[in-house]
Amino acid sequence: MKRRNFLTLSAGAAAGAALAACGNEGPGGSESGGGGSASYWSLSGEPGEPYRKAAIDRFNKANPDSKITPTFFQNDAYKQKIKTALGANQAPTLIWGWGGGGLKSYVEAGQVEDLTGLFGDAALKGKLLPGSFGAATVNGKIYAMPVETVQPIVLYYNKKIFDQVGVSAPQTYGDILDLIPKFNAKGIAPFSLAGQSRWTNMMWLEFMLDRNAGSEVFDNVFAGKPGSWSDPAVLDMLTKVQDLVKMNAFQKGFASTAADTNADQALLYTGKAAMMVHGSWSYGIQKAQGGKFVPDGGLGWMNFPPIDGGKGDPSNTVGNPGQYLSISSKATAADKETAKKFFSTTLVDEEEKAGWVKSGGVPVLANSDSLYTGDDAQFQKDMSAIAAGAKTFAQSWDQALSPTAAEVLLDNIAKLFQLQVSPQQWVDNMNGVIGK
Amino acid sequence: MTTLAPPVVRGQEPTRSRGGRSDSVLVWMVLPAFVMFVFFGIVPLLGVVLLSFATWNGITPTIELTGLTSWKAALTNPGLPNALWVTFLIMALSWLVQTPLSILLGTFMARQSRYRGFLAVFYFIPLLLSSAAIAITYKSLLDPNFGLGAGLGIDALNQDWLGQANLAIATLIFVVSWQFIPFHSLIYQGAVRQIPQSMYEAAQIDGAGRVRQFFNITLPQIKYTIITSSTLMVVGSLTFFDLIWVLTAGGPGDATRALAVQMYQLGFQASLMGPASAIAVILVLVGIGLSLLLRRIGGRADQSQMEGA
Amino acid sequence: MTPTPAGTRAGQVPEPAAAGTRASRKFAERNWVGGSFAWLWLIVVMVPLYWLVITSFKTQANYFVTNPLKPPSEFTFENYQLVIESDFVRYFMNSVVVTVGAVLPATLISFMAAYAVVRGAGNRFLQGVNGIFLMGLAIPLQAVVIPVYLIIIKMELYNTLQAIILPSIAFAIPLSVLVLANFIRDVPKELFESMRMDGATEWGTMWRLAFPLTRPALVTVVIYNAVGIWNGYLLPLILTQSPEKATIPLALASFQTQFGVNVPAVAASVTLTTVPIVLLYAIGRRQLVSGLTAGFSK
Repeated sequence: MKRRNFLTLSAGAAAGAALAACGNEGPGGSESGGGGSASYWSLSGEPGEPYRKAAIDRFNKANPDSKITPTFFQNDAYKQKIKTALGANQAPTLIWGWGGGGLKSYVEAGQVEDLTGLFGDAALKGKLLPGSFGAATVNGKIYAMPVETVQPIVLYYNKKIFDQVGVSAPQTYGDILDLIPKFNAKGIAPFSLAGQSRWTNMMWLEFMLDRNAGSEVFDNVFAGKPGSWSDPAVLDMLTKVQDLVKMNAFQKGFASTAADTNADQALLYTGKAAMMVHGSWSYGIQKAQGGKFVPDGGLGWMNFPPIDGGKGDPSNTVGNPGQYLSISSKATAADKETAKKFFSTTLVDEEEKAGWVKSGGVPVLANSDSLYTGDDAQFQKDMSAIAAGAKTFAQSWDQALSPTAAEVLLDNIAKLFQLQVSPQQWVDNMNGVIGK
Repeated sequence: MTTLAPPVVRGQEPTRSRGGRSDSVLVWMVLPAFVMFVFFGIVPLLGVVLLSFATWNGITPTIELTGLTSWKAALTNPGLPNALWVTFLIMALSWLVQTPLSILLGTFMARQSRYRGFLAVFYFIPLLLSSAAIAITYKSLLDPNFGLGAGLGIDALNQDWLGQANLAIATLIFVVSWQFIPFHSLIYQGAVRQIPQSMYEAAQIDGAGRVRQFFNITLPQIKYTIITSSTLMVVGSLTFFDLIWVLTAGGPGDATRALAVQMYQLGFQASLMGPASAIAVILVLVGIGLSLLLRRIGGRADQSQMEGA
Repeated sequence: MTPTPAGTRAGQVPEPAAAGTRASRKFAERNWVGGSFAWLWLIVVMVPLYWLVITSFKTQANYFVTNPLKPPSEFTFENYQLVIESDFVRYFMNSVVVTVGAVLPATLISFMAAYAVVRGAGNRFLQGVNGIFLMGLAIPLQAVVIPVYLIIIKMELYNTLQAIILPSIAFAIPLSVLVLANFIRDVPKELFESMRMDGATEWGTMWRLAFPLTRPALVTVVIYNAVGIWNGYLLPLILTQSPEKATIPLALASFQTQFGVNVPAVAASVTLTTVPIVLLYAIGRRQLVSGLTAGFSK
């Protein structure tokens, strides 16, 4: 009882201290003193890290008086780290990200520099794929530079399994429905899906909605129009997804398969599953881990097929139109200059382009087609064609929406696949967070 | 050396210290821990309490105080009852499973022999692994397509361990037990070894069998240890995060989404620092309530024992 | 109901051999239930450990293709090479510095605090402090990490090992005080009285009476805290930045790349981290066990 008195006392004093701590932080970013040095945070690991490092090394070599210092973090760690750092005004000069809703929240918090002026230079802007700027633009202004690679999501299939069962690749969604019982009859999972990771399930919804109803529904959601999910095509699409779950279209235990361990991809290359919807980066993983599977031509891929009677343009695709680098608005003027120089020189040079092609990806830099000559040429050409030929290249929903809405979306998607919510409940729940 | 004097009635709380001199020494003794804890524990906690009355997305430079908005959002969140239930379930089940098994193992290991010492070395190992490493291991072993079942060719083991609501909770409890039983049995081992041999000898003379000896001597004698160990288990279970996060990420659906997971998802994924902080405050309050409750139970045990003596 | 050793003098070393004979006489009959469960538990404990070790010798490419419970047909050391080349030794040393640097002071000040809390049962301030410690038991680290981060930045300790050590000490205190205080409470009042009669000060009583008698609890607390801090991930992640300051759990995370976990490499680094400690334990076990056994029965 007496304890309580003591508590209130110290509470008052310390709360003041905590507030003060949150309020006035010095400009963060570089601990280094000298002008023209920039810090850079990004993701660690293959396939990206070596090429990120190489770009910085090139820049530092070419500009001896300025220096960029990189630090690499694992994916989840990075997300937490960057958020904490931004909140404490300790962000690095160069902020790596996924564009879209996350970038928008940085912009609203006044954390990132307006780069519209920099890209006013048509020669610089022209070196990048035009479609990649959408996710870098907030309220008509550009706040990030598209970098690295374009990653559409595609339908992969195991050709050997298709031959073994004696069926051919699906041309329409109807074909897919026909294939499901055939694979199930042979004890092969029709689709591999890492259901625990949630964004993997989301890829299905993105395609199902687009093929069913076209790109307008999600555009409306993105624009914050109330009730946008109430389109009857959404209900229809959600019902189709739950039908897939009910007819065992996904492997046993898909709800506990996580994408982190690549177990979903292993199901495909070990022949335990026949098909998989996944990002273009999965190609590199299957090639690295699947032994002879990819080199022997076991892997097939295609854009997601049209749904019979659907309104969507079959050329549409979804995925990551690029990765994005922003400049912290809290950085010193000299650091910002260094960062901009990095953007306009090193990140658009030929070595950068060649590097990302070598990584097996499709660079966001334009005119890369002539570089596709290696083992992966066919895949890269096809991805490039899908990305360039898409009438709409939609950004993944969870990246496009605000983090708050994205979390509700992922939560409801997981429950939809668990049959924990009905399509109608899903629509109601999602309408509730439009514009949030 | 091993002659033991007859057990002496245990004193109540040490008597109220008399002289102010002695008390001021005691205050000096508590001060280093107190200062450290206030500085890095209480001050941040108050920051969290403050945040729970604010709206903050985690990245804006200014934090807006908005009264009860965040609390309202946290308390009306449809996920909250489920998170509370899951937290309770994990707490209760992990206590129910771990306590008897830890006592059993601890009692067994208390007897010294070479092969038990050998076993103890292996029992100790799970203690050394991080929750994340344990979770990665179990996730691989329990994979219905690539895990134990496939390895042994036993179909019964090919369950969707982490993909079905009830199974996922059960699996989680199992993994928690795997991780923490070694520690608790170590505590019980120490406690059982302190029970004076004379008590067992007396019981044997009275013709009490092993089972009766266990219930009449061993259990009452390790009462305080049981309370300490239970406090660690119960309060500790509130903050399980790494393990759940890697193992199930709160899934399937929201079947394993305990409060700590819910808090992380709200704060770091949905950028709702206010409601996340409100949940943190709830967690702390529940924790305080539980530790006080357990202390009360401990106190009562204390007294009844005195009366009995 | 704590047994009082006749004429105990604090600081005497127990003789394990004697304790052994006493213990084995105690359980003259066989403990069948305990025995069979103990062997069952051994299997339960060993399967995942076995899996970790054999997986650490598999390549990432054949990890999914091979039987998870069979050793690989060709052992590869590439995972160990990868782990060691990624500066494992430095991470290991950092982890040692952080763990030792946090556990020793944390245990020491917690012990002092626990002693004061028990002895000062009638002192409101001390009981208030104890209440605050109790409250600390349930503070989830994820919740307070942002304020802690701000404090560390204010103190200009960001990206130092102290930045990990200081909050680790603070968060070890509540549990340590709880366990130690419960144990000190069991020390018979008469012993304190007789120390007082002998004219010992509180400090003297604490060191010469309470400290040796609390050894089992101290060992427990040290193990519990050391394990927690050794495996801590969140504090090093948020409070440090450069690889020179990284600890082992961070290094472990670095094998989780952008597009997936390199499971064999994780297995290798877990194995590498664990083996030295297991060896240490196997060698020092007698010490540890006698520490746990040493109580009042001397």
